[in-house]
Amino acid sequence: MPFLRRKQKTSFEGGGLVLFRDVQDAIRTEKVLKDAGYAVRLIAPPPELRKGCDLAVEINLVEQPSIERLLNQKDVAYVSIGPLKVGTSELLQIVKVTDFGRWVMVTAGNMKLTFDKDNGVIVNTSGGGCPDIPYLHAELLGKQLTEAPPPRDIGFTLCALMLGRALEECLTLQQGDSQP
Amino acid sequence: MMLIAGTIPIKDLPLIMGKVSEEGKYLVVDGYHIPCTQGTGAMIGAALVSNNYLKLKAPQVLIAGDTGRGTGSREIYEYLIQRVAELSPQVLALHYCLPDMALTRRLCGAIKGCSKKPVLIADAASMYAAKASGLAPEFDIFTPDATEMAFLADPDATHPAYINRHLFDTDITQVPRLAAAAYQNKSAANLLLVKGAIDYIVHDSDIVATITEPDVPALEAIGGTGDTITGLVSAFAYAGLKLHEAAIIAARANRMAGKFAQATPATKVRQIIDQFPAVFKEHLCQWSGVCFMEGENYNG
Repeated sequence: MPFLRRKQKTSFEGGGLVLFRDVQDAIRTEKVLKDAGYAVRLIAPPPELRKGCDLAVEINLVEQPSIERLLNQKDVAYVSIGPLKVGTSELLQIVKVTDFGRWVMVTAGNMKLTFDKDNGVIVNTSGGGCPDIPYLHAELLGKQLTEAPPPRDIGFTLCALMLGRALEECLTLQQGDSQP
Repeated sequence: MMLIAGTIPIKDLPLIMGKVSEEGKYLVVDGYHIPCTQGTGAMIGAALVSNNYLKLKAPQVLIAGDTGRGTGSREIYEYLIQRVAELSPQVLALHYCLPDMALTRRLCGAIKGCSKKPVLIADAASMYAAKASGLAPEFDIFTPDATEMAFLADPDATHPAYINRHLFDTDITQVPRLAAAAYQNKSAANLLLVKGAIDYIVHDSDIVATITEPDVPALEAIGGTGDTITGLVSAFAYAGLKLHEAAIIAARANRMAGKFAQATPATKVRQIIDQFPAVFKEHLCQWSGVCFMEGENYNG
């Protein structure tokens, strides 16, 4: 007699959480994100993170920037997006600057962006590990800092968010240098 | 078989599995031309050059197009979950992908079905997913940079963007402390090759070796020079060297290629990869004992 096979239950561990004031917003968010192809699920938020309603949407934390962008485009109300794990540190805000003489490298989190001080052209990006990073590398290289597409607009992941931070700092440095 | 799996930044590239070769400045897999640039392309390029030099079979690669939405990443995970036991590669190197903890968990389960456990190597977001899902000890080699080392040391972080800022502030000389924390949290692979101004080879919290020469600071700025190290260590592991020896040679060769290329922060990774044959010819015998005449196989 053949064994009966159970259909394998699809598992999901995203590590990120969207919090809401209102249950209806959580349900709408789940639909918006699922329709856009994101893996998500409705869960009860941990008590320490609860902000209003007792329903939240679990997301893949790495996709936080693109999910924020989509929810803002769709005008969905949410309170915050962040890590599900209680005790996780805040999103990194600080950057490091390395002067190579003619070139400057800015490090934000796991991402680095290097530009030529003489002409403001991006000569390299490095670091990271998400699939949009090689794509952004190709999109940014050879472009002026001021004309480069912001990674936060065309990227999808936390790596892209960090690369965007590095680009913003490079722009600040360049503008500082060009002021009399 | 040596198998490299990772995404390529070409949106419509389908899932492809095949032997990689070179055609001009491109890598070729099943008729598709792949750029040898930052990411999986640079890793494959370094591994291919190394295997060619050692007269080993060219790497098999499992690639899919993905520019960030994760579709190609999930295709790679699912293919491996279904087929890895049948393929039973000797070396399996996982690279750029959208990190997915549940799929990583299923993949590690599927790998247990291999006839012999492969040497399991993870870099980039495959390493993030392995750590975040608590499966790091099942891996043989991780190749983090200094920030990623801080991520491995932070027990609560699931991505390097969310590491404790005090850990981010630490410099490369703090790697031994961070590595000890990572091993204590079970967030490290059996061997760590930490890439930076000082390269550290760490095994179970012990610093096996440090490599500082030649000193080529520009390498840190060049996109893909971390990927080439992972390609090199994968190739030397496939050649049968002990893993710590493979890691030491990979770190030395990458630095030396930077020196040979007279690297600046504006150098492109392809220029570094192009130097590997000359580096091997001049130094590999002395570094490793891997000495043979041209036309002779590494394995005799």
